[in-house]
Amino acid sequence: MSTPLIGVSKSMLKIKELINHVANTCLNVLITGETGVGKEVVAQSLYTESNRSSQHFVKINCAALPETLLESELYGYEKGAFTGAHKKRPGKFQTADKGVLFLDEIGDMPLALQSKMLHVLQSGQFSPLGSDQNFKTDVWVIAATNHNLEEAIRAKTFREDLFYRLNIIKIEIPPLRQRKEDIPSLIEYYFRLYKTQYPNNMGSKPDAETLNRLCNYPWPGNVRQLQNCIKKQMVVNSWDKIFEELPSEHPQNIPRDISNPLNHESSPFNYNEETNDRMSIISEFVDLSTSSEKLFEDISLKKIKKLASDRVEKEVITFVLGRVGWNRSKAAKILKISYKTLLYKMSEFEVAPP
Amino acid sequence: MTNPKRLLIVDDNEDILSTFYEFFNSMGYEVKTAGDGFVALKLLRDEALFFDCLITDLVMPNISGVGLISIVKKEFTHLKIIAITGYGDQPGALASEAKADIVLFKPIDLFKIEDTVASLLSDDNDNPKV
Repeated sequence: MSTPLIGVSKSMLKIKELINHVANTCLNVLITGETGVGKEVVAQSLYTESNRSSQHFVKINCAALPETLLESELYGYEKGAFTGAHKKRPGKFQTADKGVLFLDEIGDMPLALQSKMLHVLQSGQFSPLGSDQNFKTDVWVIAATNHNLEEAIRAKTFREDLFYRLNIIKIEIPPLRQRKEDIPSLIEYYFRLYKTQYPNNMGSKPDAETLNRLCNYPWPGNVRQLQNCIKKQMVVNSWDKIFEELPSEHPQNIPRDISNPLNHESSPFNYNEETNDRMSIISEFVDLSTSSEKLFEDISLKKIKKLASDRVEKEVITFVLGRVGWNRSKAAKILKISYKTLLYKMSEFEVAPP
Repeated sequence: MTNPKRLLIVDDNEDILSTFYEFFNSMGYEVKTAGDGFVALKLLRDEALFFDCLITDLVMPNISGVGLISIVKKEFTHLKIIAITGYGDQPGALASEAKADIVLFKPIDLFKIEDTVASLLSDDNDNPKV
């Protein structure tokens, strides 16, 4: 069974909606995103939701094979087409006929094969190696890459015309660190999956604190890396150990508080602590538990500035008043504000003698 | 009094979109806009019969103009389609292949686009496509 597309973030919901709207169009799709974000899962979802789901889903990894092998895999060959071609073999274009051809790592396809691919996509025809016969092909092409193809075009390693032909529908999957909301449901899903696959495993689910740490780790390897961690947890059953082994990311964040002797330079969690510090400050003024849409509505720098300065002012006023025995005119002098302003602020912040 | 013609204009550049909106509005059209092909497709699937003509940019995120044109040609056959491109020949050629009624290249004069819209919509009473 194929993996479902898991996520509750705005970007994932949008991707699901997009899949739903285009699955029956059979228009070429280009899926982009960092390694491990789930490009193949998206391709599978497109296929499952389409009216081609009863046909083949054929995958080929364009980076894994040398050029000549990739060519014969894609188009097949006739008997005797080259040394070692003892019998005729159909290519992926043939096996995927009426179904889906998933071209993974298309950005790594050699230029010569890109031209041939372009020709097949334009004409809907191909011929196996060593054959002069043209075969019609009806495949739905879904391509994926973690390269920036626009850059590859500028560097002349990817054909512009092929790019435009593939880029009819573009699905961009953001990295996991940009959609932390998805992490809890991914953890939940993979925990359940591995529990059914290995029922004897003892690994415990993360508690609230661990979950928080997991959500704040930047996951350079994205969902695949998270998946591996959960698999490992099923075996070692120690989140501490798992965190120890996670590579530290974003080294620029590490030398943070040099004066703090407890701050181990080598700790992989400085990034997390920093993020956590930031989040805890922000959470004092904004409710972070709401949806990102609502959250962005709530975040106004002006509003937050006012809330933050009010809080500090209240503390300072209370402190000074306490030191001068609640003599307000003395306090106003010390604070270098007018008596009237002090009275106003005291009533605004509800500062009263104990 | 005749009903105003209704346009759906699609472009991922907000400035262009609002310029088009103002211009066609002032020319007496009823205009709706969308920031990419996906937003446009959702509008169309909600109320396809509302629109008479689609004016779309080609290179856009999510669903490109070429994708939108292909879908419209299949699902909303009554719509006239004008494709506008600023990206050289490639997308323009694909838009013709997808059977856009007219492909125009940027930069282009708004009045010229309006002329094109007017003539496309006037031979609505059935000159099969030239």
